[in-house]
Amino acid sequence: MASDEIKATLCFLDKTKLIKQGAEARVYRGTFLGKPTIIKERFPKRYRHPTLDEKLTHRRTTQEVRSILRCRKAGISAPVVYFVDYTTHCIFLEDLVSAITVRDHIRSIQESKQTIECLHMLADKMGEVLAKMHDEDVIHGDLTTSNMLLREGDGAGDTDPVLIDFGLSYISGLPEDKGVDLYVLEKAFLSTHPNTEALFDRLLKSYMASSKKSPAVIKKLDEVRLRGRKRSMVG
Amino acid sequence: MHLTQQLELFPDHFVTQLLFKDVKNAAELKKKAMEGQISGALINASMVLDPFQLLVATNKAIHLQKTGKMKTRSLYSEIIFNLSPTNNISEAFKRFGISDHDNAVHIVLVHTKEEDHNIDSILSKVEGQQIPISQMSMLSDTAKIRKLYKVTSQEEKCGSLLDSVICRMAIKDVL
Repeated sequence: MASDEIKATLCFLDKTKLIKQGAEARVYRGTFLGKPTIIKERFPKRYRHPTLDEKLTHRRTTQEVRSILRCRKAGISAPVVYFVDYTTHCIFLEDLVSAITVRDHIRSIQESKQTIECLHMLADKMGEVLAKMHDEDVIHGDLTTSNMLLREGDGAGDTDPVLIDFGLSYISGLPEDKGVDLYVLEKAFLSTHPNTEALFDRLLKSYMASSKKSPAVIKKLDEVRLRGRKRSMVG
Repeated sequence: MHLTQQLELFPDHFVTQLLFKDVKNAAELKKKAMEGQISGALINASMVLDPFQLLVATNKAIHLQKTGKMKTRSLYSEIIFNLSPTNNISEAFKRFGISDHDNAVHIVLVHTKEEDHNIDSILSKVEGQQIPISQMSMLSDTAKIRKLYKVTSQEEKCGSLLDSVICRMAIKDVL
């Protein structure tokens, strides 16, 4: 009976369009209960022991949907979860059809030779949203400009950016973890978008202004910058 | 009047929704449903915002039935249970199932062929006026829904009340 069911969800995925394949999951786009939907499938990893694979995959799936709900409850935009299939480890999420990534938005502004000032509002908003998320003790784990979306007609920052891909997220109140989260974003931001140091500084300033707990986090960020993301285990 | 939709995940399953107001025999209907004489989920219409909410609950119920992981005894009771934000079964029935004095009832039927629903049998049992599904939002009690699902105003800034409700229904088993 269980195998029939696995077939049912996988049969459905066959009819949807694969849009991204990563090391951890495949992402499909289709229609579910009449709505445009993104399906994230954590497929089995044959290189792992089956029991360990099942456990890790299950934990990451639950972690991802929990973080989404926690963020939404705090007023941080994240896609709606429609359905979770724990047998095939598929998450069915709201598809923000006409949204673009912050990455593409910044690129198009840079290419159009517009001044960077028109991105200031966006940097402020991003700082605010991340501060709010960290105040809820949600660590995203994979902050990049590709994992933030802007809804249509939203370039100027009328509404908040939508955070996506909570696959590596977890709950922690430690300034260290929040510092590393920001460090990962800084690295990704500056390597994806050259010559945007001033913009990222603006993001950090907005983060500092929005979060009461920010001084400890920024102190940690400075430490992490010197040593890298991983803590030294020497001694 | 009614609304029939096919489930993408289970293409051999169809979901039909009907809505009644001025229902006079809620107590009798409830009794019949509990005895299995009505094969349908009888839902308190004030707790439903949109047909999508019931589609999500029904899709999940069929999924759990097929994987042998239902928490309640039947598909229809599972649909009612899935509407609730908590994992307390009796509370779910109390809040989302119909009560003896309800005068509006939302009914969900699951069938395997598009035209093979038992609407006539339902119509013959309900003493009330059937109204179009599109009018369901007039019957929903948003204040009660906000309270029961514990939806705060800051959450409604980033999405609709329906979004918040759907999220809680989908995620409740791992909270």
